[in-house]
Amino acid sequence: MFRYQSLDEDCTLEEEEEEGLVEEEDEIDQFNDDTFGAGAIADDDWQEEHKRLSGLEEQKNSARGGAGTVGGASGDAGHLPSTSSLPLPQHSSQPPPGLGEQGGGDLADALARLILGADPAIARACGPAGPGDRSRGLPAPPSVPQQHHPQAHPHQLPLAGLPPGPPHPSLLSYQQHQHLLRRGGPPMQQVNSHNIWESNMGFGPVSVTPGLVTHMEDNPLLSIIKEVGLPSRPPPMMSEDGRDLSERVPPPRSSSPVIGSPPVRAVPIGTPPKQPMSHAMNHHHQQQVHHPTAVHIRAPVHHRYPPPFPERLSPNTLLNIANSPLCRPPFSAGVGPVLSQLQRAQMLNSQVAGFPRGCQGPPMLPGGGGFRPFFGQPPPHRMGPHPGGPPPNHNHVACPVIRHNTTHLHPQHRRILTQRMQSRGGDRGGRVGDRRSRDPYSNLMTQREKDWVAKIQMMQLQSTDPYLDDYYYQNYFEKMEKKQERDRDSIRKEHTTKLITPQVAKLEHTYRPVQFAGSLGKLTVSSVNNPRKMIDAVVTSRTDDEEKREKQVWNKRRQILYTVEKMYSLLLEVQDFEKRFLLTPEEQREALLEQHKTQTLQLYGSLKEKEWDDRVSDEQCLMIMSVRKGKRLISRLLPFLPQPHAAAVVMGIARNLPTLAKKDRQDQVLCWLVEPVAAVVSSLSSSALTDLLQELQGSDGQLSRVLQNKFGVTLLYLILSEGERMQSSDPNCQLMDDNRWTELVFSVTRELLNVAPSSLAPPLFTPPNLLSLFSRYVDRQRLEQLQEKLQISALSR
Amino acid sequence: LSYLFYSFFKSLVGKDVVVELKNDLSICGTLHSVDQYLNIKLTDISVTDPEKYPHMLSVKNCFIRGSVVRYVQLPADEVDTQLLQDAARKEALQQKQ
Repeated sequence: MFRYQSLDEDCTLEEEEEEGLVEEEDEIDQFNDDTFGAGAIADDDWQEEHKRLSGLEEQKNSARGGAGTVGGASGDAGHLPSTSSLPLPQHSSQPPPGLGEQGGGDLADALARLILGADPAIARACGPAGPGDRSRGLPAPPSVPQQHHPQAHPHQLPLAGLPPGPPHPSLLSYQQHQHLLRRGGPPMQQVNSHNIWESNMGFGPVSVTPGLVTHMEDNPLLSIIKEVGLPSRPPPMMSEDGRDLSERVPPPRSSSPVIGSPPVRAVPIGTPPKQPMSHAMNHHHQQQVHHPTAVHIRAPVHHRYPPPFPERLSPNTLLNIANSPLCRPPFSAGVGPVLSQLQRAQMLNSQVAGFPRGCQGPPMLPGGGGFRPFFGQPPPHRMGPHPGGPPPNHNHVACPVIRHNTTHLHPQHRRILTQRMQSRGGDRGGRVGDRRSRDPYSNLMTQREKDWVAKIQMMQLQSTDPYLDDYYYQNYFEKMEKKQERDRDSIRKEHTTKLITPQVAKLEHTYRPVQFAGSLGKLTVSSVNNPRKMIDAVVTSRTDDEEKREKQVWNKRRQILYTVEKMYSLLLEVQDFEKRFLLTPEEQREALLEQHKTQTLQLYGSLKEKEWDDRVSDEQCLMIMSVRKGKRLISRLLPFLPQPHAAAVVMGIARNLPTLAKKDRQDQVLCWLVEPVAAVVSSLSSSALTDLLQELQGSDGQLSRVLQNKFGVTLLYLILSEGERMQSSDPNCQLMDDNRWTELVFSVTRELLNVAPSSLAPPLFTPPNLLSLFSRYVDRQRLEQLQEKLQISALSR
Repeated sequence: LSYLFYSFFKSLVGKDVVVELKNDLSICGTLHSVDQYLNIKLTDISVTDPEKYPHMLSVKNCFIRGSVVRYVQLPADEVDTQLLQDAARKEALQQKQ
């Protein structure tokens, strides 16, 4: 494999190069023993190590300050024959990961330092940040104590855009750095792993990444070996290197061994959208995209989802904020891949969960320059100074409502949610800081990726008739809106209901069998739209007659329920008429109207007496009303019936009230009927009203039974009240034309006076004008008695 | 293609519910979102039953796959049963067609 070759060449060349370097850099010599000799194997005090290296770095910086431009960097790469020789011949495919492999790499290290010093970009970049900012992910405001690694800087370089030459040395340095770092204690290791990812992501050229990955795979191996305590028997690929390798210290175990299969090189079908790339780095990008996923296999599931709280920042975001001004890469070409990482970090926490559709979270950061890789575990010692700084920033930036993206919700729903969130915001405040500081597993997906996934999900929800498919949701919030409007009609709410479920024109999917050109016959390809017939199941629809017969076999109740359900479906159609009417075009409206009328008639038809149009079948009515559902049905049905029909229904109810009351004893839901019945009553003519009152009184003893029932009493009051209203409002009213009304009222009052208070059921409400009614008909004494009784009734409600 | 319960749960977003899973774990939390598979995301969760599931102590938000849910306990006053019945009727009508 090319990797081997490169290793080979690296090794051999390194030897040579060492001499050269030694000549140039005196400082290397003084480190040789420690770095590459005996000291390499022993566990060093990493802190001292750091100091030394940082010291070196500073020297190098001063030495190489004026190197120049990108070209200079390339030139520098040329200076290092080993490195250049490595990549140049095998250019696009020869990453020099092996160099780093060679534990602490004599040459690698030296090269790293050289490059760091030589490359002006690096020098510039690392200058303000201080040489020590190796742990990339940390916010490195200049105030951060300078941490000693020169290695940090190449990280900053979005070298992806460069010609292959420069990346390699830097890559080298990464490897070296990784190794060096790993030689330290656990904190270093953490940063190491972080470095791995950095280096993975920081480099564009395809050549770099595969090597890196494989290199990483080696590292865990080696580190495992080391940990286990085996003599550092190098993995097969390194055996060719001979003695040098045996001396190298295998890097300690990284904190996140790559578990599972190596990252996929080829782009699988259905890859999420690529990151916004500046130019030709697309293929590189995909590699990079995949790397993080390969590496982060062990990330716990729940971290993968963007937290719903935007004020919670991942370390990445923190770093991004802090670092972006500092680490602006000089090479715009490299901004692409780096940006994507940055964007990930940025966008994540402003991301709203649920179905983000085009996240509208506040863009936290501009697409700034610095490269902010994914964190494995933020080294605790490094995170020390940071949580203090950035979080305050974010307090300002992000106190918005938790759900940014509520566009897909009903406006009413949104309102409710915001209110709720605001009220809860206070509780959350204290805990937010806690969340903010620990979220190492955010930023796994960019906004685009999330949108892509969301789009797939939403596509499945597209419907041709959202009102039908999303029935419950839409109606629920409409009702709520109406209720709110009723309660406080001060604010004019928006009436336009956003389409929650996007409505898509219905497409005819006719199956056309697959046919290859030139072939005879057609293939039968079973697909979602054309499923193969598995069993010979035949749908048999039975006629109404058959159904009736069958139902009669079952008990009566089921039949009743069945009838009720049938009526319900009619009712729902009628209910939706208005909506549909608005939607249909002009020409079809007439037809729709007709249909509506028919349906309404049908509804009534199932209730009414066979022959008589203006009378409701008692039997039918009783049957339906004996079930709770039926009562509900009637109550919903009444508003839709035309006046005469509705009146007939109410008559029927009044007529059969005692029976109904008896049957309702268990359910006690007759009172559902009060509202619609009240509406009907108020629309009655005077004669009809009188008739109604008569019906209510009906046979002997009926009234007393009526009075025992809450609904009955309420109905009675309603009638009386209506009569009174008629009388008082319209002097010409015909109520008094015949004596019926007066008679009836008399009998009512008699009954009221005679009935025992205990058996008088309290009504739902007492109309205010009853007293004035009674005052017309009874003398003072009786009036007072009535007053007392009614008040009693009213109070005992 | 039944959206009935998806529609229903959508209206409950933002409310507090208790989800009982098939593995007997009961999780109380605020319904954050739901999808057409009735996967549920809860925020601010707490394990309702005696915390014999200590591994959940640190978890604040969770995603529950729809297929593992046994029950979802809802606040009664947030549910319009009539409307739900109507939705079911419509669904039945649709199925028949």
